[in-house]
Amino acid sequence: MSTALVVGLGVVGVRAARQLVDTPGIERVLLADRNRGRARQLVEAFGAERADTVAFSPGDVLPEGVDVVATALPTGDDRPVVEQAIAQRVACASVDDDHDAIERLRLLHDRAETAGVTVAIGCGLAPGIADLLAKHAASTFDAIDEIRVARTGWAGEACAAAVRAARRGTAVEWAEGAWRRDQYHDDQLVWFPDPIGARDCRIVSGGVALLVDAFPDAARISTLLGEPPARRRWRRQFDEAGEWGAARVEVWGQRGTSRDVMVYGVIERTSVAAGTMLAVAAAHLVGALGTRVERPGVAGPAVLFEPVPLLGELAERGVRAAAFEGVPVG
Amino acid sequence: MRAFRRVLLVVGVAGLIGAFAKLRGKGGVPPTSGGWRELEGPEFR
Repeated sequence: MSTALVVGLGVVGVRAARQLVDTPGIERVLLADRNRGRARQLVEAFGAERADTVAFSPGDVLPEGVDVVATALPTGDDRPVVEQAIAQRVACASVDDDHDAIERLRLLHDRAETAGVTVAIGCGLAPGIADLLAKHAASTFDAIDEIRVARTGWAGEACAAAVRAARRGTAVEWAEGAWRRDQYHDDQLVWFPDPIGARDCRIVSGGVALLVDAFPDAARISTLLGEPPARRRWRRQFDEAGEWGAARVEVWGQRGTSRDVMVYGVIERTSVAAGTMLAVAAAHLVGALGTRVERPGVAGPAVLFEPVPLLGELAERGVRAAAFEGVPVG
Repeated sequence: MRAFRRVLLVVGVAGLIGAFAKLRGKGGVPPTSGGWRELEGPEFR
């Protein structure tokens, strides 16, 4: 039985904590947030026998007895937590989906590998569940040549702001075995599972590096993000239960002599999908859901995890994936 | 006659480039009509 520390109790962190409390192999969940009152409310809701608050801020020494850390902090804030986890040889999972934040965490790879610590990054909806679906789809091909991951949805205002910044910024694509940077202003129509349907999405940078780590032989890898609602001062910003989101994963490759495509998708409230993925990833790192996943270093879900067990666990927790059975047109 | 040969050369080169670009394109058109089916079974296919 293990103890998990959840750092950051925003809309994603709360869902991750709930899922960890409901994981039989996790004996105790410690909750850390700068708002101690919020952490105490959650402990009351979860039950004091399984959860407890703890005074912990990024950069602090981890509380004694922690076996795995799940971070759901605002973009870029989780690096000191991951550094501390590596220093104390504790496995760690992060949900951060920002390109620069992911790159800063990837820089810790050698340190984590030397310390023998497994750090799972990009454990959200996309990157995250989408990476698992890409690996699952890739396993049906003899060889793959293109992966396109699209996401629409944001967990809260901070997440929506990060999406707006990503769509404004320079996009990084993997093209013909090399990085290509470009400034995209044109949206592409992407079909997500119903009822989300068609949404305008733009090529961005987030999560591409994690897919390239997992599929270095793919000729092209790109990620796209949908447009969040415009920021308005007086309107209600986000639904308390969380906004709906979706991911679509297209994998192109060779089967025998023919070229084919596999399209997978998932639809769920973004915070629920991301929080569940974060919790399931953290639980696997500590062996709370079967075999302990141990691969020292910093890596994304497609490198670390076998997709079928995780997709099964996610489905049991209500996050179900779907396959598109369509007719090529155009 | 010389101008005609040049035109032929340009058209030929353009054709070759076009054929190469088509072969090396972004990978066809994704399916946009059809439906979603929940992944099922032990293999989640």
